[in-house]
Amino acid sequence: MGLLESLGLTRGKSLRASTEKDDELFGDDFQRKLDYLALVSKRVFAGRMRAERRTKKSGSGVEFADHRDYQPGDDFRYLDWNVYQRFERLLLRLYEEEEDLAIYLIVDASASMGFHGGQKLRYAKRLAAALAYVGLANLDRVSIVATNDRVMERMPTTRGKARIFKVFRFLGELEPSGTTNLEDALKTFVAQNKRRGLAVLLSDLYDPEGFERGINVLRYNKFEPFVVHIVDPTEGKPKLQGDVLLYDCETGDEREVTVTPKVLEKFAAAHREYTESVARFCATRQVSHIEADVSVPFDELILRVFRRGGFLR
Amino acid sequence: MLFAGLPFAQLATIFGIAGAAVVALYILKLRRRTVAIPFSPLWQKVLRDKEATSLFSKLKRLLSLLLQLVLLALLVFALGDPRAQVAFVKGRNVVVLLDASTSMQAVDVSPNRLGVAKDEVKTMIRGLGGSDRMLLAQMDAVVTPLGPMSGDTAELERDLTLVAATDTRADFARALRFATDSLRGLDGAEIVVVSDGHLGDAADSFGAVHLGDVKLSYVKVGKGKNNVGITQFSVRRYPLDKSRYEVMLELTNTGDVDSDVELELTGDGQPVDVTKLRLRAGERLPRFYPNLNGASRTLEAKISLTSGGHDDLPADDHAYALLPERHRAKVLVVTAGNMYLDAALLLDEYLDVTDVTPTEYVSTYAAAANTNAGKHFDAVIFDGVTPASPPRSDAIYLDPRGPGSPVKVLNELKQPGFDKIDRKHPIVRFTALDDVNIARGHKLAPEPGDKVVGASEEGPILVAGTRDGHKFVAMGFDTRESDLTLRVAWPVFLLNTINWFSDDDATYLSSFRTGDVWRIPVAGDFDEASLKLPSGIFTDVPVHEGRAVFLGQHAGFYELSAKAHRGDARDMSTTPKTAFAANLLDTDESTIAPSDTLVVDGKPAGALEGFHVGVRREIWIYLLIAAVLLTAVEWATYHRRVTV
Repeated sequence: MGLLESLGLTRGKSLRASTEKDDELFGDDFQRKLDYLALVSKRVFAGRMRAERRTKKSGSGVEFADHRDYQPGDDFRYLDWNVYQRFERLLLRLYEEEEDLAIYLIVDASASMGFHGGQKLRYAKRLAAALAYVGLANLDRVSIVATNDRVMERMPTTRGKARIFKVFRFLGELEPSGTTNLEDALKTFVAQNKRRGLAVLLSDLYDPEGFERGINVLRYNKFEPFVVHIVDPTEGKPKLQGDVLLYDCETGDEREVTVTPKVLEKFAAAHREYTESVARFCATRQVSHIEADVSVPFDELILRVFRRGGFLR
Repeated sequence: MLFAGLPFAQLATIFGIAGAAVVALYILKLRRRTVAIPFSPLWQKVLRDKEATSLFSKLKRLLSLLLQLVLLALLVFALGDPRAQVAFVKGRNVVVLLDASTSMQAVDVSPNRLGVAKDEVKTMIRGLGGSDRMLLAQMDAVVTPLGPMSGDTAELERDLTLVAATDTRADFARALRFATDSLRGLDGAEIVVVSDGHLGDAADSFGAVHLGDVKLSYVKVGKGKNNVGITQFSVRRYPLDKSRYEVMLELTNTGDVDSDVELELTGDGQPVDVTKLRLRAGERLPRFYPNLNGASRTLEAKISLTSGGHDDLPADDHAYALLPERHRAKVLVVTAGNMYLDAALLLDEYLDVTDVTPTEYVSTYAAAANTNAGKHFDAVIFDGVTPASPPRSDAIYLDPRGPGSPVKVLNELKQPGFDKIDRKHPIVRFTALDDVNIARGHKLAPEPGDKVVGASEEGPILVAGTRDGHKFVAMGFDTRESDLTLRVAWPVFLLNTINWFSDDDATYLSSFRTGDVWRIPVAGDFDEASLKLPSGIFTDVPVHEGRAVFLGQHAGFYELSAKAHRGDARDMSTTPKTAFAANLLDTDESTIAPSDTLVVDGKPAGALEGFHVGVRREIWIYLLIAAVLLTAVEWATYHRRVTV
């Protein structure tokens, strides 16, 4: 029996509480509200099925995209005769074809997400479920991946609103465990998912190796990362005092600290700095980012903050 | 510096052991509380900054250890009870004589003089030096030490609560002798008298009290002087009419202003007389109330100011007295016929007289006289006859003769008369026998123990004594052969004699004086008696030679009853109870103007000095206070994380 177990703080035991309210991920009213929302992608991805998204792939859509020189074998029906009349050049009309969007919801299920009663993981699950519902309702292809230092679980790509209960089941079974290594986990993710798309990363970004590496993996592999930084404000102001032995709930690292008001003040500053560094990184890399404060009511976050952030229309 | 507590070597040992324990506790690593965190790298920067100040942290830890060692040193040092050498040697030994006499009940100061005096003594106790010792003693009719000589202020304050006022005058000389005896051989001896100063001369039957080197200090208590008190109060029944009585009392205005007072006399709780009087400053006003009736037992006198309220000393505004108890005495007169004798006995309605002839006495009473039946009579008067054997009663023998006489009757006197009279004897009180003419009389021969009450030049003619536990009076002449029977002295003599037989004599005291040791007769053979005090409380008192012995300290009515030992089968309900009253009635105590000076042995007492509250000489108290303060600082800094 290890130290944590002897203290009654085994990871499994403490984090199982995160599933307590998973059955209540959505209420009926909330689902009706989400019906009117759709995901908006800043960039256009190629899709296999026609949906409500524009893609770079020109085709049989109705919206004009561009011209290109005629090549032998091209369909004469797309020649722009008006241009030939004016410039005597054979140019082919290109139309944007509307396709379905691939949405990957990457949920960080490491042990740190299960900290403080699993509040952060529960919040992330609800966000993921909400986004999945909106995606499914707009006929997008939704896939959910749970990670820690690897890809833990994976829900295959699915479409259609009727599949939402599959999403609920998948999310409901998620338990926090393991250490965080976004880089390794997302490398596996990109290797497994050849089709590019919107990769929504829901994580507290407590990665000892650096959260930047994980996000960069998505960027470098042409995914559009959307970082939802799950933040528990109480973690920045821990209620500690006196001589304590701190241990990392993921790595088990121990450290003796005498906590004074001054130390707490410094820690709060460090926590704030870390949160700001995430925002700063995303801003400089043009990565969509939003900070999801678990103290903000879930409904408000979905309906106001996401809309304000341009994620929903 | 001296250590009055543990010796230095022992202190060093204690400090060494405890200090080592403290250091060991600091060296031991305390188990810390384990707390989970989600992401330890966030703490890295904070902890790096902390490590940068680790040297300072170590210093603070060292400072904390040093603080603990200082605390320990203070406590260990306090255990040694260190004293400055000067203070240690020159500690005072103080005897405080706290006046608890009647005048200290004066209410001219709040709550009264004794209350103020106790406050003064309490202040002195709290101002005792570390090496000082004090003995508290209550000074009234006797001196009562309230505890041992001690430097323990808590114990002294407890002793002080035992002080209670009494209705007595203070015996200053006795108190001073007690104090000087207590201080004999001690350094820094000092007597402090806390009083209003009315203590009289410091002298007794052994002479004036000499204090020697003992310092005398005086703390004056009180300021008022207005008082009117009852300074005399006495009552007696008339010898020839015991249903009536007369009262004598005296009021004294000891103040310096005229006072209008109302004097109320009550008998058995009912008003007998109410008089308004005006007493000039310093006036003594005697009052005499003759021919009073209506009261059968208790008499009380009370005075109050006509303006309402009371004077500065209420304690002397109330006096108590008891009338002698009346009971019907049975008298058997054995005579052939004596009109003078019968007439004299008729004067007292409380006499139950039975006349018998000598023949009847022999045939009827003489036989019974040798049995318990003879006890039916309180007195037997033999007029010109003498029984062969004495009766089992007290008896008067008028002109005895023959072998049955309690005293031998010798030759006839040539010139009989009362040339010598023992005027203190109760049977001849209020009589004038000097010029009684006697025609013929015989000389009596008293036995050892008998008292010759009257005698002519040639020998005794009136003898009193006791035979077989019964009193007798023998008169050596026939009263009909003298002019005694024509005088007032004749019935008075007879009634005095009968009263003497029943102890109901004219020497009766209507009240005892508080502050004296009372010796009250107890009927029966008992070793202990129960005394009911004026407060209603019962107390056991010893009985010595048939008298209960008790030091009375409070005015009021008392009731004494014999108390049987465990296993004593006697019926105590039939044991007679003796009631009596007690008063102080002391003009000196009623004079309450406090005295500014107190002179003993020709030297005036000095003012009190050297008692300052809050200035203690015990260093250990300050050490303890320092330790407490340091602990408070340590507590505050610890909880504010200054020293950790």
